[in-house]
Amino acid sequence: MKKVSLTLSVAFLLLNAAYAQKFMTRDARISFLSETPLEKIEAINKSGSAVLDAESGRMEWKVLIKNFIFEKKLMQEHFNENYMESNKYPNAVFKGEIVNVKDINLSKDGSYNVLAKGKMTIHGVERDIEVPGKITVSGGKLNVVSDFKVACADYNISIPSVVRDNIAKEIAVHVEATLTPLTRG
Amino acid sequence: MLLFALLLAAVGGAVGLYFYNQKMPSMASQKAEMTLSAAALYEAFEADEAAANARYLGKIVAVEGQVREVSTLPDGTIKVVLDTGKDFGVLCEFDPNTKHQRTSFEPGERLTLKGECAGLNFDVLLARCALVE
Repeated sequence: MKKVSLTLSVAFLLLNAAYAQKFMTRDARISFLSETPLEKIEAINKSGSAVLDAESGRMEWKVLIKNFIFEKKLMQEHFNENYMESNKYPNAVFKGEIVNVKDINLSKDGSYNVLAKGKMTIHGVERDIEVPGKITVSGGKLNVVSDFKVACADYNISIPSVVRDNIAKEIAVHVEATLTPLTRG
Repeated sequence: MLLFALLLAAVGGAVGLYFYNQKMPSMASQKAEMTLSAAALYEAFEADEAAANARYLGKIVAVEGQVREVSTLPDGTIKVVLDTGKDFGVLCEFDPNTKHQRTSFEPGERLTLKGECAGLNFDVLLARCALVE
């Protein structure tokens, strides 16, 4: 019995080592802000997912559109029904890689400016984008912060002329997440 | 006549402003359109995501199950994962506009939570959840 449990713990150790380079979160905070002189619209999503392979730099982020929380009911309805059409396109995804992943030293606390390149899919439209970010290694975890702009027109999100002055042409997106090592398959 | 038109405009404006400023309603005050087990909801998404989206997305669903995991974000948001017997579960993110009677939950206990089905992201996600008493 002892031998079996010893074999098992060795197997687990090996398994952990194999997954040690993978990091994950399901608590990524993704917020956006549209600001014009007429109106300020903001919303936050607290359940974005992210998986990052720190060896290859490959990563994937996904957020469910209906989980963006607005203060005003009307804004949330318009966002889902008119602009994002979240019944048809329930999520937004970024699939890509950190170009300079080799700069990151996982075994030491420190902060790194990174550049991610890949494909962003919003509203069913896929586009190649580059996004800057900052990764802070702290106690074996990765804190990721990124700010970038998304132009509504790039993703075929049409804004009716009546509210054209109320909604910014470029939406400011803020991403904040703490990725922890993935310890199970 | 002019007075009437002005009055109409004022009332119209006030109604418009009222709707414009209306806050998101509390989930506690909303009725679930359907009730099912966490396992059944997850299995529907696992079997056919597009079909499950067509059926559940945007609907207020009450989901019954056993608590697998509880976490509280630094901002106080509570997340409860209901077990489905699979690798992933039904993740219920609590509603910021509901004054929750209970804020502490234990793994293993059975609960029914209602929220708006937001789709599949590893777990099936229910947004703006409240406890069904």
